[in-house]
Amino acid sequence: MTDQSTSAPQVGASRSGSPKELGTVEQAALIEQLTALADDELLLGHRNAEWTGHAPILEEDIALANLAQDEIGHAIAWYGLRSALDGSDPDRLVYFRDAPQFLNSWLAELPRGDWAFTMRRQCLFATYDAELLSRPALSSYLPLAHAAVKIGREELFHLRHSSMWLERLAHGTAESRRRLALALASAWPLLPQLLAPMPGTLDLHAAGIWPQPDELREAVVARARAALSQVGLGAGPLLPTAGLTSHRGTHPAHLDELLERLQSVARADPEATHW
Amino acid sequence: MSRWEVFKQDAAGKPHQAVGSVHAADPQHALVTAAHVFARRPAAHSLWVTRAAAIYSRTAEELAAESQAAGAPTEGQAPVSFEVFCKSTHRRSMTFVEHVATIEAATPAAALALAGAATSDDSRALAWWVVPTAAITASAPTDAASWFDPAKDKTYKQQALYGAAPSRAAKRGAG
Repeated sequence: MTDQSTSAPQVGASRSGSPKELGTVEQAALIEQLTALADDELLLGHRNAEWTGHAPILEEDIALANLAQDEIGHAIAWYGLRSALDGSDPDRLVYFRDAPQFLNSWLAELPRGDWAFTMRRQCLFATYDAELLSRPALSSYLPLAHAAVKIGREELFHLRHSSMWLERLAHGTAESRRRLALALASAWPLLPQLLAPMPGTLDLHAAGIWPQPDELREAVVARARAALSQVGLGAGPLLPTAGLTSHRGTHPAHLDELLERLQSVARADPEATHW
Repeated sequence: MSRWEVFKQDAAGKPHQAVGSVHAADPQHALVTAAHVFARRPAAHSLWVTRAAAIYSRTAEELAAESQAAGAPTEGQAPVSFEVFCKSTHRRSMTFVEHVATIEAATPAAALALAGAATSDDSRALAWWVVPTAAITASAPTDAASWFDPAKDKTYKQQALYGAAPSRAAKRGAG
């Protein structure tokens, strides 16, 4: 895939891997795209972590904490790739940006809800990640390729865990099925925003390092629909949600509340060097 | 929800060892939660789960007492496959029994007798578990890359990273 056999590999200097190979437009677009990925993973991890001490059984409590750690680990990986491009400090990005500067999707920031919503949301994100990270385009830019392999394999386990729950909630009791239907009704309409291209996505696609956004969206939706029909559920057409633009950066009120908790300690002493 | 015993294999060729239990609704649920609970830190290669109720368990003392009585008749029963596990030391805190044999027998007791006979030179056997092979659900080999391999990079999940709990080797060195 790469042509490095004749020279010693150097960080940031490989032919296909150097950030310097990207044009200014592509670099700016990639920074935005990575930030959106990272912000989604961070908030999803935070919401999952809110189950710690509250999950229905101890085993799932541990599992959710473990999932949360994985998602926050993925956020660190994506912020790290951004940092390699613009020198930004992931800790500053997480603890000192205000809500309007976050590029997460609405689906990621919604409150944790009940178990059905948590698993429904987890499954949609895992489906999205599994499709995105297995797209060949990502493997043509070395830093993305490494992250995609590492993160993609974990998302398959997350997908297994959350799909397993969809199946059991669907075949459980009238109450579990009712809750799953409600969860689907609140999560499904938010998919168009999660899957919408960002302003620079087509530039990245043209540069050959990002999948074609329409094709990716269709693949994610088809896989999510197939999983639903397997458990006897259907989802309506993807229609725009009132007040929800495809633009990331507008937030319902939930994010302020989340950030206040997430950032309070760091902001209590912004100059602190030791904790 | 029933209780499931979890057996973890650390690497190919090593025996599956009992590492603890999970509560779960069914075998696949048990496997997934077992992966979270017991395989989020290195290392794992495979997991088995079985309903705790499916385990035939005997300590060395119980076996000695039972050997006074006549064994139950097994004639006419078709042999099936059993997995036999043995605890052979008190020195291990994180595991209980480990897998020692697969044996065809008519009953768990008969399987144990055969296993005991096969390892009669091992006087260290402290306790035995016998499980019908058919009652065990295993993780799929194809799942190892997504279930187990990522943990190997996650050194932050290991206590050793934080310096609060010195490793055994360090303790020995200091002692």
